[in-house]
Formats: sequence, structure tokens, C-alpha cells
Amino acid sequence: MSKGGFRRAVLKVFGGERRQSITVPIFAVLLSLVAASILLLALGKNPITAFLGMLRGCGIVPKANYAANAGMLTDFMSFLGWLAPMTFAALAVAVAFKTGLFNIGISGQMLLGGFFATVVALECTESVPAPLRLVLVLAIGIASGAAVGGLIGFLKYRFNINEVVSSIMLNYIIQYVTKFFIQMYYVDPVSRQSRYIDASWRLTVLDVQAFGVKFNIPLAVILVIPAILIVRMLLDRTKLGYEMKTVGLTRSAARYAGMNVGKNMVLSMLISGALAGLAGVSYYLGYYASIQPGVLASMGFDSIAVSLLGNSNPVGIFFSSFLITIVSKGATYMSSSASIPQEIAQVITGLILLFSACGVVMRSMLARLGEREREYQKSLAAPVESTPESTAEPPDTSAEARPTDTADMTDAKGGDR
Amino acid sequence: MSEYIIEMKGITKRFPGIVANDNVSISVKKGEIYALLGENGAGKSTLMSMLFGMYEPDEGEIWVRGEKVKLANPAEAASLGIGMVHQHFKLVQNYTIAENIVLGIEPKKRLLGFLPAVDIKKANRDIAELSKRYGLEVDPTQKIEDVGVSVQQRVEILKMLYREAEILIFDEPTAMLTPQEIEFLLQIIRELRAGGKTIILITHKLEEIKQVADRCAVLNRGKLIDVIDAATTTTKQMANMMVGREVDTEIEKAEARFGEEVLRVEGLTVSGSGGVDAVRNVSFSVRAGEIFAVAGVSGNGQVELADAIAGLAKASGGKIILDGEDITKTDVRARIKKGISYIPEDRQNFGLVLDFDLADNLALKSYFDEPFSKHGMLRRAEFVKHGERLIEQYDIRSGQGVNTQVRSMSGGNQQKAIIAREIELQSKLMIFVQPTRGLDIGAIENIHRQILLERDAGRAVLLISLELDEVMALADTIGVIYRGEISKIAPASELTSRQVGEYMMGVTK
Repeated sequence: MSKGGFRRAVLKVFGGERRQSITVPIFAVLLSLVAASILLLALGKNPITAFLGMLRGCGIVPKANYAANAGMLTDFMSFLGWLAPMTFAALAVAVAFKTGLFNIGISGQMLLGGFFATVVALECTESVPAPLRLVLVLAIGIASGAAVGGLIGFLKYRFNINEVVSSIMLNYIIQYVTKFFIQMYYVDPVSRQSRYIDASWRLTVLDVQAFGVKFNIPLAVILVIPAILIVRMLLDRTKLGYEMKTVGLTRSAARYAGMNVGKNMVLSMLISGALAGLAGVSYYLGYYASIQPGVLASMGFDSIAVSLLGNSNPVGIFFSSFLITIVSKGATYMSSSASIPQEIAQVITGLILLFSACGVVMRSMLARLGEREREYQKSLAAPVESTPESTAEPPDTSAEARPTDTADMTDAKGGDR
Repeated sequence: MSEYIIEMKGITKRFPGIVANDNVSISVKKGEIYALLGENGAGKSTLMSMLFGMYEPDEGEIWVRGEKVKLANPAEAASLGIGMVHQHFKLVQNYTIAENIVLGIEPKKRLLGFLPAVDIKKANRDIAELSKRYGLEVDPTQKIEDVGVSVQQRVEILKMLYREAEILIFDEPTAMLTPQEIEFLLQIIRELRAGGKTIILITHKLEEIKQVADRCAVLNRGKLIDVIDAATTTTKQMANMMVGREVDTEIEKAEARFGEEVLRVEGLTVSGSGGVDAVRNVSFSVRAGEIFAVAGVSGNGQVELADAIAGLAKASGGKIILDGEDITKTDVRARIKKGISYIPEDRQNFGLVLDFDLADNLALKSYFDEPFSKHGMLRRAEFVKHGERLIEQYDIRSGQGVNTQVRSMSGGNQQKAIIAREIELQSKLMIFVQPTRGLDIGAIENIHRQILLERDAGRAVLLISLELDEVMALADTIGVIYRGEISKIAPASELTSRQVGEYMMGVTK
């Protein structure tokens, strides 16, 4: 009986299917913190100090002391500058995911968007009127990301090339082609990175002095809420979103309904790529002002975990990207303040991302638990004189009708009929 | 020892939301053919699954040969000589017949005196001998993927006999067979009985019970209604017992009034997989107010034919003319708008998006037009209004109305939803493929009535069915498809089901 009690307690805590979309991610995060704590304790470090270090690095909890002119606000603004591209990148993953596609090439699309925008900023330094500069780099970044995404979608639709393979390959191509051009034409001989762009081309207002501290204001953060709302509206309220979701859930049914499956796949990858391009501009021209040649931003991969943790839901992504950004941004300060080696800080980041992505598995486990509980309740409730007449018609539980909780990801990669 | 080889006493089995078997007791004598009759969902298969070791009963006991047994898995059942011929064959497609039969208990030999290997020659010999002994002719070296449904079934039976099963359970063995094949199978079953085997036959076909069974247990909604003597009970009595009320076995069908020609198919060819044309040079026409039924054994090009007309498959030759207009080259959407409704065979992968709610599914073919959407934006209120109207009008049962996720609905209600949506399109042509597959008698009656209503409303109906009874009951005109070709077209009144069966098997041309 105690086992049944545990089962009921678990189910009660996690609640119904709707509530699980919130409770499961929270549980996943707690679990990841526990795992990270065990690792830290094994190393003889205090996990609380370590986690506080993360929060301190992001300007959410005050540090013990600050350098001249710096303060909590400085750190927090820097955190927001990291949060914005992370959110855009996670939205990019979600849009493709809803159409049953897995855009693993976010980093490459970010890099190409950032590269072209940087090239324009370096080449046209003075020839573009100042107010147009930010609009121009945003447009160029978005367009180049969209082009790459669209190409991946087109390859999938026209030649049935798996989007995971083509986007990983394109990642390499973009990584090395941009490396070549940066090193040939745009390199700064001292830093070995691309030359710094002029402040007027940056998506950041530098060195604002207020409240007694100096900080940078990341402009891309203004676009975070609109981007979330637009993606949400696209998916829930538009004809295109309805078609994209149909294609993503049941491709054969989309064809049956007369939808153009290819067009929807290309469009979805195009939108996904555009969001990745936006992430790229706000990352390379907002947070940084130059590009390290031949390096893909790990943010492009972290964003997959962000999207999964947020259920591929735009609003969920808002919260999950906040959380994951604390981890990925705060890891540096944690390692320096709690004298945890940089490598261990990265392992902890990885652990947290890993557990965050486990929500899908947890939900399927809960579904099974729920089923067993219902069965148990039935066997309790069934009186001696059971009346099958009154029982509802059973749901169709043939193999193809059974919910495939863990299949979301694999389905996404399934070929066309 | 008891006179019964199998006794199931007071069996109760519950699944979430349903009592599948409620205190059911049956006793089967050695050497008899014992039928289990009931509608879909009556609990026949569940009861037998427990005998076969797939489930364990919640309550009750199972006795085999006078001894109480506990069957935890199919292997234990097999060791007691219980074998099951499943409705959906469990065969390895690219293995030969012999390899399939010996799988798991292969005759072994030693290569070069020490390397263990399967003695496939011995297997082939054994199976040839076994198949001759029971009159189940097969070529042991043929691959499963190259043989038809009835041969595959023979392989399943041989598999049981090879394992020396004494008690053979047949789960709906005739569902996929033509009348001639059914007759042959029933003959085999009789011979098995003569050879001392005990047979349990799960079925919902009354005729078969009359023909072969000694006794018959009737189940309804998980409860045992009665055990009857097959010889002295009429099929009408059995039907009433099975459904639990008076049923009309005959559908009332008004005189057909044919109108203008709606669909004409001329020399249609559709390529299939493996370089063979699935549909070959098919020509026929359907008029308004006519039910044109395509009869045929599964896999003879029916699905490809329907897909080609609906636009889901490309025609590699020929023409499709709807209402005087050549639509061969147009896409699915254009054909929907021009007036084709399509109830597909595979309702869960084509007809529905299982993870959408009912409102979204009911608008799957009209979402793109006003009032459902305008300037690319959806109007959820219209989806809800439309959904609620259809739920009411077509009696679609669902837990949470328009917000119900379709995945959680029963097969019958899923099909109702598809049919409601397709009828609502008010198309000139309605294509029904296997519209009653897997549904119970009540739902079948209801769908048959709806198909006739659509015909009487002046629509052209193309009905593609594997159920010969369904074809015979509804068709005004019958076309028989065999290996992708329509081998015969005639008014339904001029054909008997026997004749149709012969065309279906390609015996007559």
C-alpha cells in the first residue's frame, strides 16, 4: 500500500497533464541542481556558494565587492545582453520543431548572420546614416539566417535530405568559409579576431552612467517580448501556423488535407533561420563586437535544451531561457569566485542542460504512473456487481493510436510517405 | 480426468475504464470446435489472450486438462500445447516459409562437425511433410513477402502444428479472406478436429459458426450471455444475443435514381512500389445517386486507386474526369474544392491529426477559407462553432467536446468525426475506403445508413471495401479489382457474392 501511496503523492505533486508542463521542467531543474551539488560536494566545494556565484555573476544577487564604476546593474545588463540571443535561438528551435523538423544548425545560422552584419559594419563604416545602421545589420542578419534555414528546408523538401545532416554540414561550411574571410580580410592582428566594429553599429548603448554605476544597455532585449508574442501568434493564430503544426504532427494527414507539405517545411525552416540570424546579430554585434574565427557559438546548441525545457512553447521559452542563461552566463563568475576550475563549471552547465532536456522522458513516466493509478482506482471502485453498460467506450488503444511520448523527437526526423 | 480440456472459471479482467471480461466461465471439450461470438470490444480476444498467456486474469482460474494452471507468458501456454493464430500475422516478411515456421526451435546440425548451424534442408523436408499431412499446401522455400494472405495464414497454422499444439485458437481467421478461401479454411478446421485437435474460433461471422462450430459462447460487453448449440440455433437468434437487441440484418435500401455522370476514370495507371504498377489501365464511371463499390482482396491496388482519384498519388497514365473536367493534373486542394470528399482507410495517419483537438480536426479541410480564416489569421470562434454543430448533428461522443484530443477518442467516434467532416463538404463525389474497419455492429449500421443517405441525396459514392458483405449490401454497381485491374463491372443485382469472390481471386476473368 505504501507503494501506491508514493505513486499518488507523485501524481498529486505533478498534477494533470496541463500542470505538468510547468511542474516537470521545475522538477528537472531541481534534479539537475542536485546532480551538480553532488559533483561539487565530491570536489569539496560548497554547492550553495557555487550557485550563488552563478546568480552573482548575472547581477541577480549582489557580489561582495565591485570594481570601480561597476555594480549589480552592470552585471544584470550584461546578463540581458546574453539572454536576448538565447531566447531568439530557442524560438528558432521551437518553430522548426513544431513543423517536425530539428534545426540543429542554429550556431551556423547565427554565425553567418553575424558575419554578414559585421562585414557590412566594417565596410560601410561612415557611408550609412547612423539611424539606419542598426536596422540594416538586423535586416542583413535575419536575411542571411533565413537563407540558410530556407536552404535546409528546400534540401529536405526537394531531395529528401535529412535536415539534421544538412544543417550540421552547413555548420562546417559556414564555420570555415567565414573563418577564411575573417582571417584574410577582417582580422585584427592583435586579438586574432575580426576587427572591432564601430560603436554606432552595435546593438548596445555603451557606457551609460546612472545610479552611480556604468553599464551597457543591450538593445536586442527590447525585441525579446515582441519576438515571443509574434512566434506565439504565428503558431496559434495563423493559417500558416495551423498548417505547420499539422505537417509537424502528421505529415500524411497534411497531404490528405491538401496542404503543401514542402512549402510549409521550407517556410518553417526559413522562419527558424531568420530567428537564428536575429540571435546571431544580437550575439555578435550586441554582446560582442567581433567574431572569433572558426568557432561556433555554444549558445546555438544550448538553445535546444532551452526550447525543450520550455516545451517548445514561446512563453515557456521565456522562462527557460532566463534560467539557462543564468547557468551559462554565470558559470564564469562561479568558477572564479568559488575557485572551481573552468572545466568543472562547464561540466555543471552541461549537467544542468542534460537534465533540463529530460522532461520528455519524465512526462512519459508520469503518464505510465497515472495509468497504473487509474487501473488501481478502477479495481478498488469496481463493485461486486460491475456494470459495464455504464463504463465509457474505451479509447482506441491500437498500436498506432497509443501516445508515443518519447517519439516527438524521432518523429520529427521521419521521412515523407 | 475431467471431460473438458480447457476450463476458464469466473474470469474477470479489467482495463482502465472498462471491464473487458466480467465473471466469464467457459469449458471446452477435447476435440470440439468451440466458437466465441461477440461484437468488437465484447471481450473475446481478451479472454483468449489470457488463455494464451498474454494477460493474467484479475480474478478466476484457468484449468487445462483437469489441472489448475497459471499462464504468465505465451511460452508457458505453448508448453501446454496451446497455440494461437493471430488476426494480424506475426511473420518475418523476408524469411522463407520454412524459416518462419521453425523460428525459435530450428533443427540444428554441425557444420564441419563442430560449427552449429540451422539444418534448413531438414526444416524444408519436415514442413513439406507436415503440410501434406494436414492438406495445407505451401512451398517451404518461398518467401513470405511473395505469398498471399491465405498462404500466410496457412503458415501461421503450420507454425502451431509444427510446435505440436493441441489446442488451436483462431482469432478472426476469415477477416481477410475471399468466400472460396473461407470455405477452404473451414474445411481445414474440420480436418484438424478430425485429427483430434481442439479448436477455439473467435469470430463475429454467424455463418461460419453455423457451418463448423459444435458449440458457441456468446459474449456481450464482457459478459457471457449464453453457450448455445450451434446446430439448433438460428443465425438470427445468435445475432440478437450478440448485440443484445433486435437487429436488422438487412439494410433498407431505396431504389437508386441515377443522375449525371460525376466521375469518369479512363485508363488510369498508378505506379506502385517495386516497379510494378499498383493500378493498371482502370476505367469506370460513377453517376450521381449511385454507389459504385470496388470489391477485392487486400493489396490489389484499392488504396492506390482511391489516392490517385483524391490526388494523393500521381497517375502515371490515363485520365480522371470529375464533372466533365479533367482533374488528372490538379493537386489535392483543387480537388477538394472541386468536390471530392475522401474517407481514407488509414484514419489515424491520414484522416486525423491525433494530437489536435476535435475542433481543429473537424476543420481540417475547410480551415483555409472564410469563415474559418481571413487574411491568413484563424478565427478560433468559428472552429468551435463548426465543431459544436457537427458534434451535435453527427452524435460524436467525446470527453470534453470540441477541446477533446482526438487521440483519446474511440475508433468509432474518430471515424464518425471524419465522416461528419467529409459529408459537411457537400462534395459531388464521396470516396469511402474501408469505412467500417474495426467498428462494432452498431457503428457499422449507422455508417451504412449514412452512405445510403448520401447516395439518395444525389452524390456519387465510390465505396472501396474488403468486406464482401458490405459491398453486396450497399452497392448499386460492383467493380472487382484484381492485381490492379478492374476485371468485372456489373450491376449489383446481376452478381452473387460467390461470383464476386471468384473474380476477386482471379479464378474467372
